[in-house]
Amino acid sequence: MKHARFSLEEFKALFPDPFGSQEEMLKEYEAFRAILEQVDQLPVPELSVRERAEIFRRSWPEPAQRRARVWTWLAFLRRPAVTFAAGLVLGCALMFIGMRPQTETPEPIAPEQAFTVQHAGHVKTYEGKILQALYPQIENPRVTVEKKQEASKPRRVLQGTLDKGQVYVLWNL
Amino acid sequence: MMDGHDSISDGALVKAAQQGDRDAAACLYHRHVDRVHRICYRIVLDGSQVTDCVQEVWLKVFRNLGRFQCEKSFAAWLNRVAANTAIDCYRRWRKQGRHVGIDEVPAEALPAEESRDAQSLDDALLQKRIHEALEEITVNQRTAFVLRYYEDMSPTQIAQVLGCREGTVRTHVRRGLLALRAKLTGQPVTRGSEK
Repeated sequence: MKHARFSLEEFKALFPDPFGSQEEMLKEYEAFRAILEQVDQLPVPELSVRERAEIFRRSWPEPAQRRARVWTWLAFLRRPAVTFAAGLVLGCALMFIGMRPQTETPEPIAPEQAFTVQHAGHVKTYEGKILQALYPQIENPRVTVEKKQEASKPRRVLQGTLDKGQVYVLWNL
Repeated sequence: MMDGHDSISDGALVKAAQQGDRDAAACLYHRHVDRVHRICYRIVLDGSQVTDCVQEVWLKVFRNLGRFQCEKSFAAWLNRVAANTAIDCYRRWRKQGRHVGIDEVPAEALPAEESRDAQSLDDALLQKRIHEALEEITVNQRTAFVLRYYEDMSPTQIAQVLGCREGTVRTHVRRGLLALRAKLTGQPVTRGSEK
């Protein structure tokens, strides 16, 4: 150990109280440096090659040890108390999911597919998915809106079939 | 086995070891094991216990390597683990009443039988006194002293290791130095270094 770190500045920081004189302070500083050098003389016995190898062998977890650790965890999870607690938690979670209010929303229909309009004079015919959604019991539903004159009240009629086209439906709306 | 790893940084070796690379872990181990051993020995001061202590350090290191962030200094983290483990080991052994007594200085610290002339006997006695002096100071004072003057760590780093303030570290170092001086020289301290 070279005591480059035990500088005079560090000595002054460690012992900030005033000394009788500058010489006294330097004498004290040298005395502490001598102590550090003396302490250096305590040898540290080295680890033998065998000890080094043995420490590494025991410390580094080999794959078998890792597998053993997994088995330890599995064994822990298979304890009755742990299994019971896990079952309880799982049951609560499932119940929570099951009891949640169902908020199913119908799939939105794209505006361009919602309906089509055909014009024929004063008659407008509406067809498309939005009518199928509105009248699910009727096959191929379509609504005609007819005006005798521009200013007259429109007549709305729902048309379609039932029983695979066997019954024709006509319903004034 | 490790020749190819010599130029690789600690960070890269840690990353590889985290992936389960045994060679990288071995290289990391061989690169730092002597330092860990020195720290442990100087804190524990018992040659018969130090091997167990070093092994405990490496067990902790490898067990927690997955959580280590590679951008931080591995050496600093290792110093921290080593110092804290050594303090724990020392306290545990003290509690069990198994600390090294004056007459139990490790054999390796004493010179061989055939070379025991007057000079080497003096050396042995001096080493014994140093050992006793280091044993007399508290484990925190010794740790602060060892990390400051043997491992070149700053008071800030030592404060992190010991979990205390920087000022407390300086106090530990000062008291450690004073106690060592009193024990080794038997000299009373002068006014400026008394407190």
